[in-house]
Amino acid sequence: MKKLTILLFFLASTPVFANPLISGISTNEINIDTKFNGAKILLFGARGDAGDIVIAVRGPKKNFLVTKKQKFLGVWYNGQRVKFKESYSFYSLFSTFSNNEGIDQLLTDLELGKNNINFYTSSKVSADIKNEFQLQLVDRLEHNKLYSSGADKIDFLNETLFKVLLNFPKNISRGTYTVEIYLISEGNLLSFQSIPIYVNQVGISARILDFAYEESFLYGIAAVAFALVVGWLANYLFLRFIGK
Amino acid sequence: MFQIYLPIAEIPVNILLVLLLGLGAGFLAGMFGIGGGFLATPFLMFIGIPPAIAVSTSTNQIIAASVSGLLVQFRKKNVDIKMGLFLVLGGFFGSTFGVSIFRILQSSGHIDIVIALVYVIFLGTISVTMLIDSVRTLMEKKYGVTWDKKAEHGEGGFLKRLERLPWQVYFPKSEITVSILIPIILSAGIGILVALMGIGGGFLMIPAMIYILRMPSSVVVGTSLFQIVFIASNATFLQAVTSNNVDIVLAFLMIISSAVGAQIGTRAGYKVDADSMRSFLALLLLGVCVKMLFILFTEPSHLYIIEVLKR
Repeated sequence: MKKLTILLFFLASTPVFANPLISGISTNEINIDTKFNGAKILLFGARGDAGDIVIAVRGPKKNFLVTKKQKFLGVWYNGQRVKFKESYSFYSLFSTFSNNEGIDQLLTDLELGKNNINFYTSSKVSADIKNEFQLQLVDRLEHNKLYSSGADKIDFLNETLFKVLLNFPKNISRGTYTVEIYLISEGNLLSFQSIPIYVNQVGISARILDFAYEESFLYGIAAVAFALVVGWLANYLFLRFIGK
Repeated sequence: MFQIYLPIAEIPVNILLVLLLGLGAGFLAGMFGIGGGFLATPFLMFIGIPPAIAVSTSTNQIIAASVSGLLVQFRKKNVDIKMGLFLVLGGFFGSTFGVSIFRILQSSGHIDIVIALVYVIFLGTISVTMLIDSVRTLMEKKYGVTWDKKAEHGEGGFLKRLERLPWQVYFPKSEITVSILIPIILSAGIGILVALMGIGGGFLMIPAMIYILRMPSSVVVGTSLFQIVFIASNATFLQAVTSNNVDIVLAFLMIISSAVGAQIGTRAGYKVDADSMRSFLALLLLGVCVKMLFILFTEPSHLYIIEVLKR
């Protein structure tokens, strides 16, 4: 909410929009099929004013369940679980900041940086437990390349022109991603731009999955009917061609 | 190259491996008349299919296998339909209840360990009993040693008590009179196992029909298959609706390969020494049981597991 407020305030308070920041991406569509092995998208831009560039890519929000394995009599079982509601399924950050002095508050408010992302638990869990599970969640997501930060990956061609290669691993979720580009100078937000990227799942597998979840009643009937028909067919074919 | 992506399990598997697995499970099921689901479900787990999906997809495969067998039995007029309907009634409640337990365990996160534990208990008991039995038979054949058949104490009294239950009904096909409570309760219990383990339950139902219901052995297999078709259909449907656990692509591969395997197994069954094969099956089941135990006791590679919830 705070982030939105700041951005709205920013837009309202900049009547003469000098457009000090222009950027674009090579494509805003990624199609996941069965052979999908990750995708790279080139972002390029130009800044009209001097300042630092921060680029954040946020994936669609998902509910995450973190389960801790525990041992009882030598047997490993699922122990405590914490559900994190509406958390970014993907988060990637690039910035030209060498240190965050004086802009900590702004970065926190804009949820920039993995330590500034807000996580919400659904159940009543203590702050300690939430922290423990949240650390593990971020750690696993980083391990799976879904969360990342690359401070030095913004390439400057000259003082104004820059480019960044955005990397999407093969395990990304489908949904709408947003690329946010910020121009920050002396603790002030000078300019902001947001570009959407649409990640779609294509092919028969995605259709079956959708069908199973959206029309589970019909899917159940189809699964049963299909098995009945194949069973009958197998019997018929064997009798017909192979005999008893 | 032979990878296929399973839409519900959301993992790629080697198509040849799955076909081989179905072929093997079908072969053994065809040869021994039991045990298709008992082997197929753990095998699926061993190749990395999540236990909940392995179980539910197995029930889907069992429908096809049972229909195929049932049609053969129908042709031979070996089905006691009246008895079958009472079994279906009980099995309907049992499997519905079983799917509810499954659902509760899945949302609390304990389904995987419960499936593994139930399998360890059943596989352990069955394989050891079978092994002792078949070793005895082999020894008897080879050395002429005989064991005293244990006198079955108490069992007579138990069956006597069953005769006093209300709602006695005559079943003309089987030529027996029993209380309808017995088949209903019996199949309700088995229905729960069908839902929890992804098995047909024939290995329990058939002995129960012979020793408790005293049905003639000619109609036992057909009637058992009759109720399995309905129970497995109910379980599959409910699993698909309540937990989205049925992977239709995986089921398809298993159905095709196990149907072929069962036909080969049935024919091979006439030619091999049944007793040696029984000890082989017993060892195989024991091996699966041990492997399951390993899964329970092996330290996971990560102490925290992350899941993305679909809803």
